[in-house]
Amino acid sequence: MAVTADANVTFWYGCNMTRHGEIVRLVTQMLEAVGVAAAPAGGPGYCCGSPQESNARIAAGMAARTVEKFNAAGRETVVTWCPSCHMNMDDFMAPVTEAAFETQHITQLLAARAERLRPLLIQPVAARVLLHAHHGFHGRVPVNTDVPMLLGMIPGLTVLDHPLRVPGHMCSAIAAVPGELARAHRETLAAIDEGGADTLVTVFHSCHREAVALERGRPIRVVNWIHLLAEAMGLPYTDDYKLWRNAADVRGIVGADRIAAAGDLAFERLVEPELRRPPAV
Amino acid sequence: MQDPGRTLASHVRDHSARLAVACTECGACYRACPMVPRTPPLADAAPEAVMAGIRDILRDGGGTPEAIAFAGACTRSGVCSAACPEQLDAAFLMRLASLRVRGALGDPPRVAPKHDAGWSARVKAFARLTMNQEEQATWL
Repeated sequence: MAVTADANVTFWYGCNMTRHGEIVRLVTQMLEAVGVAAAPAGGPGYCCGSPQESNARIAAGMAARTVEKFNAAGRETVVTWCPSCHMNMDDFMAPVTEAAFETQHITQLLAARAERLRPLLIQPVAARVLLHAHHGFHGRVPVNTDVPMLLGMIPGLTVLDHPLRVPGHMCSAIAAVPGELARAHRETLAAIDEGGADTLVTVFHSCHREAVALERGRPIRVVNWIHLLAEAMGLPYTDDYKLWRNAADVRGIVGADRIAAAGDLAFERLVEPELRRPPAV
Repeated sequence: MQDPGRTLASHVRDHSARLAVACTECGACYRACPMVPRTPPLADAAPEAVMAGIRDILRDGGGTPEAIAFAGACTRSGVCSAACPEQLDAAFLMRLASLRVRGALGDPPRVAPKHDAGWSARVKAFARLTMNQEEQATWL
């Protein structure tokens, strides 16, 4: 599925979300179900400049190219996923390169269409969930209230009201600080125990790719909020990244065909070390 | 309508100057920051003095070791903005200081820049693993 022809919004999923193709697919299906035709766009060709933020000249070039591509697409709204991309667009990209579109985070859009989404959430999902919430970004977009509100519409699901707030705006921010990701995971696991949760719900991709490894040896399920909405809507999906990250035989579960598609050398040097990384706790 | 001569560097400089003027060095943002207790060089630092150093960084100065450590420790939690009695966007102020100590404007970095040399190739490799060819052709 690669819907773009009649799209009225661009779904700017960011760069590192390429690990989670099923989330891009599910978001596009959900938006269509609530009356929004979305054209996904992301990867290095739509960079916000963040990976080169220590060089304003290079970052500016990448950011300007992205804004110009969105302008050329002619859609009035760019729907964001990544909090870094969203904040960079607001703070550095649109103020420097004139943007002919408005920006809205995916949580805002779905929250605004909650009454159209609610009747579509028909499959019960028996889960007692803890939200993996960060301090950051909530001051810009109320993700820590909008996501629980949306999840609360799922029949059979209980969202714990827990004060856990991890520093940073998502886990990639704290992963660079020695020991902080492990500390955040320990605090998250303690909150799961304290609240009697059986499911940990991530909001952002960088949190998801680290938190899925917490399933190893523990009776918990780690899912993204989009996965839960999809289950309630009856949309099938597979969280391949989680399967790969927790597999004893990484190459076996990814499969020779997919490894060949990624490129043997790229898989060995760029992908496999990440998938084999032990959980940070 | 933007100034056609505007660049990211001029944008960073302009807002740095604006926020350096507006900040009163009260230290409320520093006290609210969840990273302060997790940053050893800040163990005995005075909040007001650290923020004086941050203002110096925003004004093209060298800052102080504690201010550089504080700017380098920012993980964008954003609680500083809610704590600011002047209602400044303290998170943006710290973002600007963080970019500057990492050498974004061409100065020698005072904090190691974040850099992942394999980022683009890794992102593309994962795309080939999780997206079909039509999706790659239209989504990337």
